[in-house]
This record gives sequence, C-alpha cells and structure tokens, in this order.
Amino acid sequence: MSAIVTIQDVVKEYSLGATVVQALRGVNLTVDKGEFISIAGPSGSGKTTLLNLIGCVDTATRGVVEVAGQNTAKMSERELTNLRLNTIGFIFQSFNLVSVLTVFQNVEFPLLLQNKLSAKDRKERVEGLLEQVGLKTHLKHRPNELSGGQRQRVAIARALVTDPLIVLADEPTANLDSETGQAILDLMKSLNQKKGTTFIFSTHDHRVMRYANAVVRIADGKVTGRESPQDAVAHEMEGLDTRSTEVRAS
Amino acid sequence: MTFLSPMLWVIAFRSLLQHRVRTFILGAAIAGVTALLVTLTGAFVGIRSTLLLSATTLMSGHVNVAGFYKASASAGAPVVTNYKKVRAIIDSEVPELDYVVQRGRGWAKLVSESGAQQVGIGGIDITNEPGFRQVVQIKEGKLDDLTKPNGMLIFEAQARKLGVKVGDTMTIVAPTFRGTSNTVDVILVAIAADIGMLSSWNTFMNDQGLRQLYQLNDESTGALQLYLKDIDQVKPVQERLRRVLAASGFELLDPDPRPYFAKFDSVNRENWTGQKLDVTNWEDETSFVQWIVTALTALATIVIFVLMMIIGVGIMNVMWISIRERTREIGTLRAVGMQRQAVLAMFVAEGTLLGVMSTVLGGLLGVLLSVGLTRAHIGLPTSWQFVFFSERLVISPTLFWVLFSVGFITAVITLISIIPSFLAARLKPITAMSHVG
Repeated sequence: MSAIVTIQDVVKEYSLGATVVQALRGVNLTVDKGEFISIAGPSGSGKTTLLNLIGCVDTATRGVVEVAGQNTAKMSERELTNLRLNTIGFIFQSFNLVSVLTVFQNVEFPLLLQNKLSAKDRKERVEGLLEQVGLKTHLKHRPNELSGGQRQRVAIARALVTDPLIVLADEPTANLDSETGQAILDLMKSLNQKKGTTFIFSTHDHRVMRYANAVVRIADGKVTGRESPQDAVAHEMEGLDTRSTEVRAS
Repeated sequence: MTFLSPMLWVIAFRSLLQHRVRTFILGAAIAGVTALLVTLTGAFVGIRSTLLLSATTLMSGHVNVAGFYKASASAGAPVVTNYKKVRAIIDSEVPELDYVVQRGRGWAKLVSESGAQQVGIGGIDITNEPGFRQVVQIKEGKLDDLTKPNGMLIFEAQARKLGVKVGDTMTIVAPTFRGTSNTVDVILVAIAADIGMLSSWNTFMNDQGLRQLYQLNDESTGALQLYLKDIDQVKPVQERLRRVLAASGFELLDPDPRPYFAKFDSVNRENWTGQKLDVTNWEDETSFVQWIVTALTALATIVIFVLMMIIGVGIMNVMWISIRERTREIGTLRAVGMQRQAVLAMFVAEGTLLGVMSTVLGGLLGVLLSVGLTRAHIGLPTSWQFVFFSERLVISPTLFWVLFSVGFITAVITLISIIPSFLAARLKPITAMSHVG
C-alpha cells in the first residue's frame, strides 16, 4: 500500500506570551491508503495538534507534512483550502454543524463549495449518504432537532460527501454515550471497508481503539510506538490497573 | 461559492432570523432612517414643486424675455418696447414652446380703507393665460372679471391683511417710469388661495389698467413669459434666444441670475439709454428664495450623515457580535473548504440582506408617512410657510428618491459590513475553531 500521509521530523510550537510550548517534538509517521488508524494518548499529548497538521488547518513550525503527495508547507492558503475541500473530510468532537442549515444543506455544503455537480447529482449523492447513515427521514431537520448521535452521523455524511481520500476524526465519540459511540464507529468502519477511505481518528478510549487496524501512541508530543489494537487495549488496561492500585495504596 | 450563491443568502437570512430581536432592533433603526430620508426628500420635492408652481404662475415663465427701458441713464423701467417683434422671433425660433404670455410689471402701494401693503403687480390678459387658470384657485369672486379695466386679483393672506372682500375698492399708488407719482382706483374682483410665500406680495390686475397706471402704449409690456412643453429644455432655449435676439439687432444685458427687481440699481448705474433685453429663467427669478432649499438640503444631509454614523456603529457592533458568536462556525466552514472570499461574501450578504429588507420597509413607511401627512392637510405656521412655500405641508415622494434612499442606505450598510466581514475571513481555521465564547 502507498502512503497517503507522511510526517517527517515535525515540530509544532506555540507561543504563550514569552513562553514557547512544544506541542509536537519531532514526530514521524506514515499512514497508508485505506487504513483505519487510531492516534491514542492522554489529554495534552498532541493528538489534536497532529490531526490539525494532517488536516491542513494548521501548519508545522518545522518538518515536512505531506498529504496525498503534496508538501503542505509549500502550499498557499488557497491551495490548502482546496486540498481540504477535495481530499480531506472532517469529523469533529462537537459535531460542528451549521446551526441554521438543515441536515440536507449541511451535507450538501462541501459539494456547493466544489461546484462540480449539478443540483440533481448533489441531491442524489446527499440523499444516498444520509440513507447510509440512517437519516434519510431527517433531511429537513435542523441540527438542534437531532440527538448527539444523529448529529455525528450528519457530520460523517458531510465528511464523506466529497469522496475524500482521508477522513480525520477528533475524538468522534467523546460526546456520545457508549451505545451511540459504538454505532458511529461501526458506521465509520463499514464505510472504510466499502469505500477504502482512510480514517485517522484520535481517542484515549480503549473501547474505541479496538476498531482500529493500528494504534499510534503519542505522549508528550512524540510518537512512542505503533501497535495492534489488541496490544494497545492491553496496555491501556495495564495502565488502568496500575493507576487503580496506586489510588488504593494511597 | 460567490456572493450570488443561494446558500450564502440562505445562511445570511436564517442567521438574521435566529437572532430576531437583534435583527428587529437594528432593522427598525435602519427602516426609520430610510423613512426619514424618503420623507425629507419628499419634502424637498414638495418645496421645489411648490416653488416652481408659485414662480411660474405668479412671476415668471419657464423662460422670460424682459428687460429695461431707460429714458435717461439713471431711470430704468422694467419695460419691453416693441414686444410684438420679440414675440414673432420667439414664435419662430422656439419649437419647444407650449404657449407664451405677456405680463406687465409694476411695484406699488395697495391701499384699502383699513390698511396698505407694498406689492408687485402683474398686468395680465386673463383671456390669454391658460396656465394661470389651471393653477390659481379662486376662493371668492370671478377670475374672468379681470377682463374689466380696473379689475384686480389678490390672495387670501393679502385680503386678510388689507381687510377687503370682493367688490371693495382699493387705490394703487405708484411712481411712474417717468419719475412722477400716479394713482388709480381698482375693484377687487377675485380672491385666490395662497400659493406659497411668493403669493404674499404678488397681485394681478388687468393689463390695460396697468398700462394706464404707468402710462405705457400698447406696444409695450413688462415681460414675455415662455412656457415650454418640457421644463428641462429651459437652458438650451434660454441660450438660443439670447443668440437669436442679439443677431436680430436687440441689445442684451449681460447674463445675471437675479430677479428683475434686484437689477434696478445696477442697471441704473450703467451709462446707457434706450432698450436692453434680459433673458432669464424661473430659477433666476426665484434665486432670492432658493437659498432656503439649499439650506434645507445641507441641514438634511447633516442629519442623515449623523444618523448614518449611528446606524453604522450599530451595524458594526452587530456584525462583531455575530462574528464572535459564529467564530467556531467560521472555523468549521474554512476547515471543510470554504475560501476566505466566500466567508467575506457570507457576512457581507448578511449585512446587505438586513439593509435591503430594512430599507425597503423604511421606503414604504416613508411613502405612507408622506402621503398621510400631505392628505391630512396640515396647516403650517406662518414662519413655516416661508420655508415650505405653501400654507399646508406638501410632501411628494418620488420613485427616484425612494429608490435612491433604499439604494444609498443599503450600499452604506453593505460597505460598513465589509470591515468586520473581512477580518472574519482573515481568521485561520485553527484559530477560529479553538475560539471560546
């Protein structure tokens, strides 16, 4: 399989007043086409920063980020926006739907930005996707008329509507109950298998990691390893046991 | 996605609807300013049309051929001798002409049993004055009685001041053009409704009676007043007449945009005798009151400017609030591939939509207010009559000024909304998405 994302020696620094904070400290990572990969790590470890760099909504301080074969550091703001529009789909933790648009319009929005399809084709594509995520009957609903799980399904449909090569999901189940979260992951997984779309999602929930092909561990801004989901879950459970023992001992 | 994309307008409209209280308050303010602008422009149109009506009925044609005759260097009289020859030139050279009348001109004291007033006197041949008949509304007496050699018409306010009614006799005392004083008794045959402030000192009498008062022959008159089919042709007709009359051997005064009675001093200082013609238009003859329109225009401009500033600050604030509230949304839209120009267009569309909806409503309100106030026949205090050229409030909103008001205020609001919209569009997606608040 060929690489869809390549990250080499990437450093990301933020300035907080006079203090410079290193969110990523020389990260190297390769993600192949069609992978369903999880980036795992505790809060503040750099998961979201890494996803932002891959999603081209932020730029690295140093190092190389290549997405779909393009070095993002050498691209203009307009080119980056086009890359996001045509190559990447986003699923956010807080869904981030446009509150004044209907379900249909939210999903249709990226297609309007692309301006490639006729109204008829757009309708067909959007309704097809909403059927896949089980919301065909909610086309005219506004986001505030939907449950959290339904909103995330709309977000998934929006992320997939342009047939992107990569879908980035930042803790997609964090705001959902476990049952709904599981259903969302099932949906993402099935779309990954049917369409071959690459999914990269961040999480620190071991139940979510089970769905991944591989889990990339990140801590203190560095990639500490890449492991199978079974190993990752085992490590998580060990960590939980250790922490609970420490709590009991204290 | 461009400014014309329907989706942008859907977002803009629904965003306004979502914050309906804020939209309503700001929209009402914009509508109010628009209504005010429509009403003010309507008032100017009303004032101008009343002034035009007054001027072209009482003391001027659209274009006038008048002038001065001087028997000696310092004794100018507002007289055109041999006016029939001038009339023949006008008839052949002015195809734009609707009709032409000759009027005598005089300035005299009108004395009644209970009062006196200095007035301008127009010598009028009522059988040849179609426009005069249409415009002057007779309240008492008969207009046709002006055919009587000593018949006289005055206006209501003058009649009240002089304490006279139709059938009463008055005396006119006037210095003649030969330097002596003359008197003549006249009978009040008609009292007309006031037509603006100009009717406060204009009166009319039979033209033969006026000739008798000033001892003029039948070949002389005060002015030839030309009424054109299209008033916008005044300037070319005026220029052409000056050229043709000069070519026909008439001496002409230099162009001077003042009414004839303001020219006596300068004419009498000039060292010539005989006849010189003067070609003026209605604006020249009313230039002494046009400053009122200019002053009102300046005042209204200042008022509108101040109101627009206030509205502008309101628009900016609302846009800022809207952008702050929707910063995360901007970040999301940028993340999913919306270009900066589209974000700019989206917020400008919101400002434009608010502007269009509010100004259209305001325009309609302004028209209704104007029509309502005019139909209410609100009598104006005397001091206001001086400004409005009418005894009643007349506001005449026109399609041009309504469209201008709507377009102008919408354009200003759109321009104002560009500033915060531009800054919103400059936000980086990551900055916008991590916005808290």
